[in-house]
Amino acid sequence: MKLPRDKVEHPALQYIAAVLLGGVCAILCLPLLGWLDLANIVMLFLLTVAITAAWLGQGPGILAAFLSVALFDFLYVEPRFSLAVHDGQYLVTLVVMLLVALLISHLSILLQRQLQQAQHREQRTRVLYECARNFAGAMTREEVDDTLQYCLSTSVQAQKVALYVPDAQEHLDFTDSSRRSTPSIPERLVIQYSYSSGQRQESTEFAATGFHTAYLPLRGATRMRGVLVLDVPVTRDESAEDQTYFLEALSSLLATALERLHFVTVAQKAELGMQSERLRSSILSSISHDVRTPLTVLCGLADTLQLTQPGLSDEGKELVASLRSHAFQLHGMVNNLLDMARLQSGRVQLQREWQPLEEVIGASIHLLGSTLSSHTVRVTVPGDLPLVQLDAVLLERVFCNLLENAAKYSPPHSTITLAAALQGSAVEVRICNAGAGFPADAMGDLLDVFSRGKQESPVQGFGIGLSICRSIVEAHGGEIALFSPEAGGACVMFTLPLGSPPTVEPEQASPGLQS
Amino acid sequence: MNATGQTTGGESVATVLLVEDELDIRRFVRTVLRSQSYRVLEAGTISQGLMEAESGKPDLVILDLGLPDGNGVQFVRDFRYWSQVPVLVLSARSAEQEKIAALDAGADDYLTKPFALGELLARVRALLRRGQQLQAVPQACLSFSDITVDMARRLVTRDGEPLHLTPIEYRLLVLLVSNAGKVMTHRHLLREIWGPGQTDNNHYLRVYVGHLRQKLEQDPAQPKHILTETAVGYRFVY
Repeated sequence: MKLPRDKVEHPALQYIAAVLLGGVCAILCLPLLGWLDLANIVMLFLLTVAITAAWLGQGPGILAAFLSVALFDFLYVEPRFSLAVHDGQYLVTLVVMLLVALLISHLSILLQRQLQQAQHREQRTRVLYECARNFAGAMTREEVDDTLQYCLSTSVQAQKVALYVPDAQEHLDFTDSSRRSTPSIPERLVIQYSYSSGQRQESTEFAATGFHTAYLPLRGATRMRGVLVLDVPVTRDESAEDQTYFLEALSSLLATALERLHFVTVAQKAELGMQSERLRSSILSSISHDVRTPLTVLCGLADTLQLTQPGLSDEGKELVASLRSHAFQLHGMVNNLLDMARLQSGRVQLQREWQPLEEVIGASIHLLGSTLSSHTVRVTVPGDLPLVQLDAVLLERVFCNLLENAAKYSPPHSTITLAAALQGSAVEVRICNAGAGFPADAMGDLLDVFSRGKQESPVQGFGIGLSICRSIVEAHGGEIALFSPEAGGACVMFTLPLGSPPTVEPEQASPGLQS
Repeated sequence: MNATGQTTGGESVATVLLVEDELDIRRFVRTVLRSQSYRVLEAGTISQGLMEAESGKPDLVILDLGLPDGNGVQFVRDFRYWSQVPVLVLSARSAEQEKIAALDAGADDYLTKPFALGELLARVRALLRRGQQLQAVPQACLSFSDITVDMARRLVTRDGEPLHLTPIEYRLLVLLVSNAGKVMTHRHLLREIWGPGQTDNNHYLRVYVGHLRQKLEQDPAQPKHILTETAVGYRFVY
């Protein structure tokens, strides 16, 4: 059916062809008049009308219908070669013949149109299928764009296609102006509205050019993925509906593709982060091992010298003691640097567990051992202090650093106080010594020696320990502050948020056990 | 007293097996152990260490965890199949999981590098004493500071005055005291006291240890006997 239409494109030619067909039929039937009944000749005329309508379309079909009725009347109905009709019977024949011819031409045209529509839809479905396949394979934004252009150009003859996607802060990026000029403020509002409401918008402002603008929101599974803006040709009602369905299907495919790209990026970032984290921790642990081995040997050799018999001279002993203390100091510094590197990487995995603060304090004091031997440490922790969720290893570093500093910067035989107390929804810890207090001008800098812009501290050997403490406390969601009380000395105060500690049911009293 | 032990003025001549691949560390540890008149066997790998352990019959093993032919944890596992001799592990700081793995495999104690030799000798003495106790007749009555634990009568007293302990506190105390010198991991203690289903409830253990310290220690915040091994477990010392 499609091929003959292609042959006769020009409308005038179609009508001429219709007239010719009618004429040929009328003339061919003439010799048959002797031995064919008139009723059968009517059938041949009707056949001609049907073929004409099917081949040439509605207009020529209708022309053929009237023409064949006229020719039949003129050539075959008595009186012949006149349009007059003597026998009233033939009037009925002629009227019915006209109606049937018109009906046939109408039906055939309907059929043709349906066929066309079906073909059109089939083609769009094929395009959609192809698009879906291409979108599914797209690994970059460029590939998505290319697929989109291809799909739109092969189906709806869309123009000025632009895709606006949100950035990390969920603001639409209006800079995609490759095929469309940057949207004006009112147009941006329309796009923004379409994005936030998820509703399709249309603008018929330039309908005179044969195009209208469609704003299609791209709805992903989790959130909106952007807005597709394009100019589509203005079409008749029925195919406009088709076009709408097609564009909706396409935008949902596009949304899925963009969503997938987003998650691919997220997964890649996470993978990259994990790899660099793994690399960092393996570098740190290998540095830590490589530095520790010679330090262990150094400390061990110094200890061995002290313990060997016969003993060294007094001067020798002094030298060995100095060697030993410096080796251990170096070890402390290496530990701090490694901790700092680990904490500054910003991805500290806290191993938090609910535990009594008292236990961590006790372990820290025990660990410091002889460092605190020339000071009295007074610990005040209320017995009913709730459990705190903390990383014991890291918090031990905080207490060790703070207690060590407190001892280092206060006269021997003075007292260091460590007090913990409940303050609202946090536990507050204060560590104070009886030293000279913090240098007033450097107080603000002490906590962030390693922060940007303050790489050189005026205070030697102070800062790194404190900034480690700060990183650890802040990683726990707490705050740390320094102050010099009026009564003298220096204090470091930090808080740890309380959270909701788990309950430990009191044990059933068992009077039988002890008495 | 064990087979190789001989008493020389209170100090026993025990055999120590040192499994360590760093020659310099081995040298000074050997020197200081010999200066304390211990007999010292040495090995640089796990397989060599296991052979030495079998032929030399040591009374104590000092084991580095990072060995060229594998992790020291594997040595502990293999060694524990046939021997209960105490194992002291040398490990790096910030390797809590490694320490816990070694302790769970059967090691008794650990020391973090770099360590003071005085501390090493103290641990060696404590573990040798523990090794002897494992072979000696179990004692029903133990005492530390002014506390006495009478396991036959299930009685804990301070200066003769009975202390009131709950059943869990008592079991925890006995478990710690009878493993004096050995680091008991959280998991091990939880399993022993609360059963195998409770190994994630570390806070239970911490709360009960806190109770014990309140009742037994002079200063619960600076305990002298029930010591915390941060992120690993607890250790009882006399």
